[in-house]
Amino acid sequence: MSQPNAAAPPAARLPTSERVLNAYVIAVLVFLALPVFIVVPLAFSDDVSLSFPPRGFSLRWFANILERPEFGRAFALSAAIAIFATIVALTAGTLAALGLVRHRFPGRDATVTFFMTPLIFPAIVLGAALALMLSPLGLLRSFWGLALAHVVLTFPYVLRTALATLSEIDRALAEAAYTLGANRWKTFRHVTLPLMRPGLLAGATFALIVSFDEFTISMFLVGPGMMTLPLEMYNYAEFSLDPTIAAISTILLIITSVAIIVIEKLVGLGKQFS
Amino acid sequence: MGQLTPALAGGAAASPPRRIDTGKVLSLGALLAPAVLLLAVGLLWPFLMMLRMSFLDRFPDPTGLTLEFYTAVLTDTYFLRIIGRTFALGLVVTAITAVVAYPVAWYLARSRSRWKHLVFLGVISPLMVSIIVRTIGWTIILGNEGFINAMLTSLGIIDTPLRLMQSFWSVVAGMVHILIPFMVLSIASVLGKIDPSYAEAATVMGANPVRTFLKVTLPLSVQGIAAGSVIVFCLTVGAYVTPVMLGRGQVNVLAVTIHEQMVVLVDWPTGAVVAMVLTAGTMVVLTLYGLFLRRHAQR
Repeated sequence: MSQPNAAAPPAARLPTSERVLNAYVIAVLVFLALPVFIVVPLAFSDDVSLSFPPRGFSLRWFANILERPEFGRAFALSAAIAIFATIVALTAGTLAALGLVRHRFPGRDATVTFFMTPLIFPAIVLGAALALMLSPLGLLRSFWGLALAHVVLTFPYVLRTALATLSEIDRALAEAAYTLGANRWKTFRHVTLPLMRPGLLAGATFALIVSFDEFTISMFLVGPGMMTLPLEMYNYAEFSLDPTIAAISTILLIITSVAIIVIEKLVGLGKQFS
Repeated sequence: MGQLTPALAGGAAASPPRRIDTGKVLSLGALLAPAVLLLAVGLLWPFLMMLRMSFLDRFPDPTGLTLEFYTAVLTDTYFLRIIGRTFALGLVVTAITAVVAYPVAWYLARSRSRWKHLVFLGVISPLMVSIIVRTIGWTIILGNEGFINAMLTSLGIIDTPLRLMQSFWSVVAGMVHILIPFMVLSIASVLGKIDPSYAEAATVMGANPVRTFLKVTLPLSVQGIAAGSVIVFCLTVGAYVTPVMLGRGQVNVLAVTIHEQMVVLVDWPTGAVVAMVLTAGTMVVLTLYGLFLRRHAQR
């Protein structure tokens, strides 16, 4: 019997409806996982074409990745851009969040909306516009051009989690430190920042993933010798639809899964968003 | 975005009132400066360059400003059809995503199951898989010799493969798949904040579960649906990879046209006009959302 308190399950949580809901949730999760379930087995296929079900077993597509240095180069570039963009966005985002949460000023809501714009601004337009701006500066097909684009793109993700964590941190703690004689920097360094760390780490994880997977904006800014991994994969898939792409995907999947599990163990990524 | 505002206001209520002093203003300026600079250089300035481009009579070496390209694009049935298709795709994907995502969001917000954490990771997992991989996955599932056709043929249901790829609906499937996580997270964050005692009150007063849901819970969660819809709509109408890879030239949308005009045809003014049409569509949706939030706050 359930206890007669406020936490008693509402009528909508009858066992039957709950079973239906559970089945539905599982169905949606299967739908979400479907492309991965298809792609991973194909990485080990002996067939030269990407068709399901895979035929035979072979590791030659993994060997093929190693034989093509462009994939290694693209991976290094994507990783460098993602790390750079995340660090810059994290710094700017944390500072902006401190300003937005700790200060009241006219136009604050408008500022938040402006800061969130890259999230909903059409990527294709931003990419073309950045190309237009960077081209006369000689920054087209350069690391710095790509880096600027990725900082702009990842900034809202970091700011959003920073704002959410900061507004939940008890301000009294920082004020206590301040009253007890810590200066602003010490208060931030020893009180606010440690409290913000889980939120910032979650935001940084999202920023890394978003940057690493970015395609549309980068499409306008890359060039020969300066190619990010998603574009290199796309270019490869345009000409040869063999399982090499599936093999790269499998490696990426392992890397992200390990990273997510580590971060989940450290701070509980789920807690940051649910 | 908008949802953040109440939470922030709540945080401020606890702090003692202070008078305005120059030190505060300076420190606020210093805190916001990097972000403002970043968005001014990386978003606003390039956007203004693009806006100007859409009025140039030719590029490079413009001799003056003109509305010629706007008239050309907005009276050409070729472009009008693409505009219509893009926004229709946005609406269809948003509607399907909202319906599919709502029960999952409900589960995440209300369930006390110990699997909840795993379900959450499952929901955001597509975000961790490369867009190229997801799209290639769909190509394999929907292709002529793909998963679905192979299954239907072997079961004897069809003789000739169905043409599932290169269609509007294959693009819809690919987009819905990519965007479900955004919608689930938006709705779940609002559902999680609703006090369950409202629904209980309705039940105690004699409302059946369906009525309780329609009259109490759904209206209270509209804000989450609206926020999710804005994100999903904007990301759909601006999408490039999915329409290109699943449409294979048969599903022309604005993003594909912008790329084509600028990179393939090197007609920057026309491309810029199409880009402005897309941006304007996004702005209209955002304005509607702003109006909705204001009306919602008044109630």
